[in-house]
Amino acid sequence: MSLAATLQELKDSTAARIANASTLDELEAIRVETVGRKGVLAGAGKDMAKVAKEDRAAMGQLLNAVKSAIESALEERTNAFQAAALEARLDAEWMDLTAPAPGVQPGALHPVTQVQRYLEEVFTSMGFTVLSGPEVETEFHNFDALNIPPSHPARDMQDTFWLEGGHLLRTHTSPVQVRGMKRLGAPLRMIAPGRVFRNEEVDPSHEHTFYQLEGMMVDREVSIAHMLYFMKTLLKEIFQREVAVRLRPGYFPFVEPGFELDIQCLLCGGAGCPVCKYTGWVELLPCGLVHPNVLRAGGIDPGQWNGFAFGLGLTRLAMMRYGIDDIRLLQAGDLRFLNQFR
Amino acid sequence: MKFSANWIAELAPGLTVPPHELGALITTKTAECEGTEAYAPFLDHVRLARVVDVRPVEGSKNVYAAIDAGPLGRKNVVCGAPNCRAGILTAWVMPGAELKGGRVIGKAVVSGLESEGMLAAGDEIGVNREHEGILEFSEGAPGDPLPGISPDHIIEIDNKSLTHRPDLWGHLGMAREVAAITGLALRDPVPPVEWAGEPPLRVEIENYELCPRYSALVFENVTIAPSPLWLQYRLESIGLNPISNIVDVTNLVMAELAQPTHAFDADLLKGGVIFVRLAKAGERVQALNEEEYTLDGQALVIADAGGAEAIAGVIGGRPTGIHAGTRRVVLESANFQAASIRRTSSRLKLRTDASMRFEKAQDPGNTVRALARCWELFRLVSPGIRLVGGLVDNAAPVTPPPAIRLDLDWLNRKIGRAVAREEVEKILRSLAFVVEPDGPGALAVTPPSWRATKDISIAEDLVEEIGRMIGYASIPPRAPLVPSEPPPASPEREYQYELRRMAAAQGFTEVYNYSFLSETLAERFGFPREEHIQVLNPIARDQGLLRVSLTPRIVQNIEDNARHMDSFRLFETGNEIHKRAGSEDGLPEEIPHLAAAIFAKEGDGQAGLFELKRLAEILAPGVKVSAATGVRCFEHPRRVWTLESHGETVGRVFELHPSWCEHGRGAILDLDLAALFRLRPEPVKHKPLRRFPVSEFDLSVITGVRVEVGAVGSLLLRAGDESWLGVEFVGQYMGAPLALDEKSLSFRVTVGAADHTLSAGEITAARERAIAAVQAAGYQLRM
Ligand SMILES: [Zn+2]
Repeated sequence: MSLAATLQELKDSTAARIANASTLDELEAIRVETVGRKGVLAGAGKDMAKVAKEDRAAMGQLLNAVKSAIESALEERTNAFQAAALEARLDAEWMDLTAPAPGVQPGALHPVTQVQRYLEEVFTSMGFTVLSGPEVETEFHNFDALNIPPSHPARDMQDTFWLEGGHLLRTHTSPVQVRGMKRLGAPLRMIAPGRVFRNEEVDPSHEHTFYQLEGMMVDREVSIAHMLYFMKTLLKEIFQREVAVRLRPGYFPFVEPGFELDIQCLLCGGAGCPVCKYTGWVELLPCGLVHPNVLRAGGIDPGQWNGFAFGLGLTRLAMMRYGIDDIRLLQAGDLRFLNQFR
Repeated sequence: MKFSANWIAELAPGLTVPPHELGALITTKTAECEGTEAYAPFLDHVRLARVVDVRPVEGSKNVYAAIDAGPLGRKNVVCGAPNCRAGILTAWVMPGAELKGGRVIGKAVVSGLESEGMLAAGDEIGVNREHEGILEFSEGAPGDPLPGISPDHIIEIDNKSLTHRPDLWGHLGMAREVAAITGLALRDPVPPVEWAGEPPLRVEIENYELCPRYSALVFENVTIAPSPLWLQYRLESIGLNPISNIVDVTNLVMAELAQPTHAFDADLLKGGVIFVRLAKAGERVQALNEEEYTLDGQALVIADAGGAEAIAGVIGGRPTGIHAGTRRVVLESANFQAASIRRTSSRLKLRTDASMRFEKAQDPGNTVRALARCWELFRLVSPGIRLVGGLVDNAAPVTPPPAIRLDLDWLNRKIGRAVAREEVEKILRSLAFVVEPDGPGALAVTPPSWRATKDISIAEDLVEEIGRMIGYASIPPRAPLVPSEPPPASPEREYQYELRRMAAAQGFTEVYNYSFLSETLAERFGFPREEHIQVLNPIARDQGLLRVSLTPRIVQNIEDNARHMDSFRLFETGNEIHKRAGSEDGLPEEIPHLAAAIFAKEGDGQAGLFELKRLAEILAPGVKVSAATGVRCFEHPRRVWTLESHGETVGRVFELHPSWCEHGRGAILDLDLAALFRLRPEPVKHKPLRRFPVSEFDLSVITGVRVEVGAVGSLLLRAGDESWLGVEFVGQYMGAPLALDEKSLSFRVTVGAADHTLSAGEITAARERAIAAVQAAGYQLRM
């Protein structure tokens, strides 16, 4: 057989072997045998010397063509094998992420914490500072400084836990008004969220331990109109929608004038329903212009400054937000309840 | 406080606002209305009727009565009342009436006889509380509505919102508000009286501070009898119990004018002098409510020559009270200091209609007005009654309330919108303020005496009067003009929030617990009772102390939740409250703590303790664990550690003693957040990245089984010099070829230098130093 015929034969048979190979190893063996350094084609190269001089160029071309045909067939087949191998590996690595992740689930912050945190952020963004006050208070800060002298009937409105040593558990967060004024002076914008105590029997809607948020703003010129604006803005943030509000007279010795702020019932939109006792309004928070005696108790001159103050029931707000109908759940430490707030 | 809408309408003639709307108006302008309810609407279906004939019903106590209902015709009614007899004028309930409790009266067959409606006893139609017989009227014509007894509406006002308004404890005060709101004129029910004649009685007031005024009248030829039914109905409708004519009138006048009065049987008072004085300590009064009260020396009493006969402003005495045979009456109408009455009433735990009013600071100007009104009504209810002598009136000199200067521009700035001078004047006058000009742009405003006792004394009080009457809804909200500055930060609060968030992220759910605990619980945990602050008036016996530790309630949380769950994590942040000597205001120290707990029904408990350690390291980076001394009764004695940061104790972690946690393993981490905040890490200064490679070598140290990893690790750390970059615990091994009481602890030491690569010699030297230290400590190396 001529060399040309041999090369052609080699090309065809190798192509067939490559097509039939089933592993990368087989391909490698074919490569070594044919185009390898000691392979058949290398041997054929050496035989070139025996080829007639005038045929050498053509023969050389043929040799190269056969070599590159085999090499590209090898490469193509190798790529196919690698792709299949990768595909097989990927397929083998199927997994099920719908199974629960190992380790513990995150816990939940208490619903009151969540509401409180949200409100603190709202107020901070409106320029208010967040203050704390003690839970055990002096009679002075809880009552006298707030324009509630001894024997004032308003002391009956708040059933007080009295402690040995003449102190008491604060009945509201309002004492922080005076502490805040003394510490920071005027002008002042502050809130004071915290735990308060009333000597009350516990039932689904009453607790002896609950949470309030006191707010106060003291500046040169503060009017009822300013307070209204502020409350509307605040309530829009809290409820994430426009809410209609109304002020009506309310008696709290530490403000004058004092108001109850009602919001239009969010359930019935003011048409009347059991929640609003068919009045269309829901009592939300007490507020008012700070009584001059309270400013004085805080070391601020009521001739120069005035302000407004308000008290938000955090516990009540949390109950509204999460639809909680039994206040006792909040202090019961029952994880079946608390884990719902994750 | 209950108000009758009919009564208000009588005092504000021309009132056309329907009762429900009236309640809403009062709410927005005056005081909170808690609800408006129809009272006895069925009275539209009740008429006067005369019994004309009565026939017995066989086999029954009932009788069959023929009645004449005038234009409505003759009817037959079955009646069981013993007083049902021919000739009386009574109340006939027509078929179709729906009485209290939805009881519908119809045509019925009773004892085989047809009964058209029924004849009513007082309690059946809300006139009084009598059930013994049917009502008997002395005037009126058959077929007429019951005289003075018609359907009403009761407006219930929240007492709290009347705290500062002595005048609103009577219908006249509320009618004045309603008249001002609706622009009507007020009708004063008090007749003008010219008092003449010598006072028949002497009154001695010991202290005019406590009793600024004591007025009285003396009556003779009194007949005690039931009140007219219209009067009984009026009292009944606002929740007062009709008793007898004289007493009922005093109650009616109290409900009308807010001035309590008290009627004594004059013949039972000893001597001709009434003393208003403090009680002698231990002095007793037999009160009208059948109770006996022992007074202290601060209670004010009304006394005669024989001793205390009434507790001033609170309750009258039984021995001198009105009774069926009373013929002569002393009618007291006095004014008492609010604080004194409040004190006595709360000390005796006795709140009466009188004490509730007096403790709101009643108007001394009202005493004689109440007497005049009583005198008028007495003549109506006790025909033949005569006044003895003239008015008794002993009063401290009254200083008229000073005028308040109201700057109109200031008023507008306070309200936030302009209010015309004319409108301001009109509003104030409608509320009975006296208004005079006080230079340009200002008014001199004098409050009426009933607003001056407590309620109105400064210009801010007038802002409220104007504001509520113009209507707060008329004030447009306005943005305040204030410089916008970032508020002062609250780093401690932020820090605590961050910790709570991290604890939750680690799987711990936040609980809130009470600040109270019982003495028994404190004792059980071995917390000395005297370290706790005591609550003097706890709501329940198990809440008598303030917590000095969060642990007892956390343990309770574990017990409670273990009933429903096999494993869980929870935490609380709250204040421990500790007695503190020598603080400025004597207040205790409140230390914020975070207590976290892990419970697992299965397992040996170690995993939970390591989780708590991890939590401690997350919340307090750099915290060190070391075995605790002073094990407490609820702690597992081999599983209790203290946590330190910068050499200070910042917390404790322990497993609950098995006898305290029966159904699994519970472990608790307790951190002092105040200390942690104080010791929180400063921002880190970065170190440059190493330019030269570091080297590592491992060492395995053979120790006794209870030698701590921490002890060997720190031994290795101490052995090193500045080239030691870290000592890391790799693991431990127990078993052959080690002895049974041995274990091997493996550590990886990393060494390196900032300015060169360590040579083989340097590394070997480091390793040998470590080995020497280990051996010096008496441990063997495992090769
Ligand atoms: Zn509603």
